[in-house]
Amino acid sequence: MKSGDVIQFSWKALSGYPTRTLLMILAMAIGVASVILLTALGEGARRFVTDEFTSLGTYLLIVLPGRSETTGGPPPLLGETPRDLTLEDALSLIRSSSIRRMAPITVGSAPVSWKHRDREVTVLGSTAELFEIRHLSMAQGRFIPAGDPSRGLAVCVMGYKLKKELFGNQSPLGEWVRIGDRRFRVIGVLAKKGQSLGLDMGDVVVVPVASAQALFNTSALFRILLQANGREAIPKAKKAVLATIRERHEGEDDVTVITQDALLSTFDRILVAMTLSVAGIAAISLSVAGILIMNVMLIAVSQRTTEIGLLKAIGARGTHILWLFLAESAILSLIGAGFGLILAFLGNWGLGHAFPKLSITAPIWALAAAVSVALLTGLVFGVLPARRAARLDPVQALSRR
Amino acid sequence: MLINDSAKLATAALSSQRMRSFLTALGIAVGIASVVLLTSIGEGIHKFVLSEFTQFGTNLIAVSPGKTTTAGISGAIISNVRPLSIDDALALGRSPKILGVVPFVQGNAPVEFGKHSRRTYVFGVGSQVPTVWQMKVGMGRFLPDDDPRTARAFAVLGSTVKDELLGSVNPLGRRIRIGGERYRVIGVMESKGQMLGFDLDDAVYIPTQRALAMFDRESLMEIDMIYGGDSNVDDIVKNVKALLMDRHGAEDFTITTQEQMLDVLGSVLNILTLAVGALGGISLLVGGVGILTIMTISVNERRAEIGLLRAIGAGRGQILSLFIGEAVVLSSIGGLAGLMIGAGGAWLLGAVVPALPTHTPWLYVVLAEILAALIGLMAGVLPAHRAANLDPIEALRAE
Repeated sequence: MKSGDVIQFSWKALSGYPTRTLLMILAMAIGVASVILLTALGEGARRFVTDEFTSLGTYLLIVLPGRSETTGGPPPLLGETPRDLTLEDALSLIRSSSIRRMAPITVGSAPVSWKHRDREVTVLGSTAELFEIRHLSMAQGRFIPAGDPSRGLAVCVMGYKLKKELFGNQSPLGEWVRIGDRRFRVIGVLAKKGQSLGLDMGDVVVVPVASAQALFNTSALFRILLQANGREAIPKAKKAVLATIRERHEGEDDVTVITQDALLSTFDRILVAMTLSVAGIAAISLSVAGILIMNVMLIAVSQRTTEIGLLKAIGARGTHILWLFLAESAILSLIGAGFGLILAFLGNWGLGHAFPKLSITAPIWALAAAVSVALLTGLVFGVLPARRAARLDPVQALSRR
Repeated sequence: MLINDSAKLATAALSSQRMRSFLTALGIAVGIASVVLLTSIGEGIHKFVLSEFTQFGTNLIAVSPGKTTTAGISGAIISNVRPLSIDDALALGRSPKILGVVPFVQGNAPVEFGKHSRRTYVFGVGSQVPTVWQMKVGMGRFLPDDDPRTARAFAVLGSTVKDELLGSVNPLGRRIRIGGERYRVIGVMESKGQMLGFDLDDAVYIPTQRALAMFDRESLMEIDMIYGGDSNVDDIVKNVKALLMDRHGAEDFTITTQEQMLDVLGSVLNILTLAVGALGGISLLVGGVGILTIMTISVNERRAEIGLLRAIGAGRGQILSLFIGEAVVLSSIGGLAGLMIGAGGAWLLGAVVPALPTHTPWLYVVLAEILAALIGLMAGVLPAHRAANLDPIEALRAE
């Protein structure tokens, strides 16, 4: 038999029973669609997190004070140490040739007040370079001016949310606000950027690092953000930081350096694992659809006994019959997968409209995997009925009626 | 027709087509099994996380500096202009119904003994840690009840630090250096193990005032309090708030109760369990489509039988209930099998991988079984309706 004939024959057999064929296609389509949709969701989440990390800055290194002995555990996040990481430490790091930019950061919380309004916000002490490193953008005015970082100017830059709460629709530029017990002149407002990894950049006020240190009466830095010269320079920069700090801290290794890549790859691994397991769970439904196909094909074999007997009587071999039935289940699962794809695309489109922030597109490998798994289940579950059909004795099969 | 007869007819119909019934039930069984297994894992993780958090006791209240409206680490914990002081903690300790108070500050410092040195967490705490955090001292005793403002230089070691630093040497009475300052070891904590990836034993405990001095800080990071089990949380929170407002003049602190935290955590974990269960439910849906398909086929095959039943006087309702009953029995059997596979799988998984906690929530199990029967009912309605509407004459002629 030619392959064209096989397909035509199977197609006729399938379209002879439209209800059951449609139902089987529906079952397969649900399975394929759920696999693709869930993978697309997982991919969307992964891409969202990756973007979030890249928006933090590029070629970023973060220096934290303190170090814990066990590797792999969480780094000392709150970072109180007997020996502070100071502004001088930070300034010494910039001398390394593999480091392009440096921004020291102190963090604290203080009430910001203007006239009668008062709001407790996070105060970030930093320098002009933070603007470049964190890819910030301004809505109004300008960022903290460059200059000697150890001199604390009485200027501040507000997040958009803080500005709205304190000033409403008025322009805050040039106004004096009180932060803690000091006065600062507002010189700029940050553009809306949304949450970035826990810290809401809308609800902060940025002041020069020396002013923040004076405000909180501390000489310690909370973090140092560094931008390396390029991707290759990151390990070199890390080594340089550790060496410089060791020298300055009398031979003690008391800082932790986190590279953005390491952080990113950790998150990436977790999210890929999650996507795969969710897709795997959805794939269970494919096996249920496979069982259904097997069941219906078994019924079809017993219903079409005479037909098979006739085929055998006019010279069809066992393998021919086998192929006929296998082709039938393959066609079923392929059509099912096709409808599943359409369903998944519709679902993706709907989800994309519901959550415009997540870019939901199924990766090509997921499409290919879902379709091929569907085809495979169809074939695997089709083997048993097909073999049963192939083994039928033509005489008995024909004599039944 | 008696119910007994209907049941007999349905089971006879099912058992005459054994392979077909088995495969249909198998489809449902796979669906139910995956729902049960997945919710078991979800519920197990839920229980595990909650027990991790409640190991410090459930009647806890924490006060941290800074007024925060959203969750997450507030900048105020790192530095602030309105510190939370040891005196605040002392005042809270004197207020009614508070059984114990721990003024808390943490940092990272090298601990040295002889030639060995290890960087580890340093917790500045008060003497009441064993009651408030429900921790046990394994050897020696915990920090004494000194005046917190002039506490003596005593240290208590976590078990990991003791093992790494002193090995088999008896630690009690030894002098160690923490961040360059000299301390005398007066106790070792019992091992508490990991909590969510965080080694609780890799820490040393020193008096709060000394930790504040070592880290050159004014403000505590947190004040933890424990209250009696019989008192009302809201009253205590109100008292604490009033007292601190009196002392500070404004609300520049945040009060978190363990109950709130557990509530938030519990609801997040519930959603997780539900979502995972719903993922398993996709398979159940496909299984339902399977029943629908098979019932449709079987109605087609048994037209003659239906015609005969109608001819000898069976009503439409009877035919309807007969076929629906068949579908429900099919899916219930599948559901039961799925339950056994799922619960057994969960138990096996828990036994083989002890790190992965599983707990089969019986509520979900019952729900899943009811769901299976419901799916059978819904999948049965359409074919049964078709069967009931057959014209008996037409149906009989089909043979």
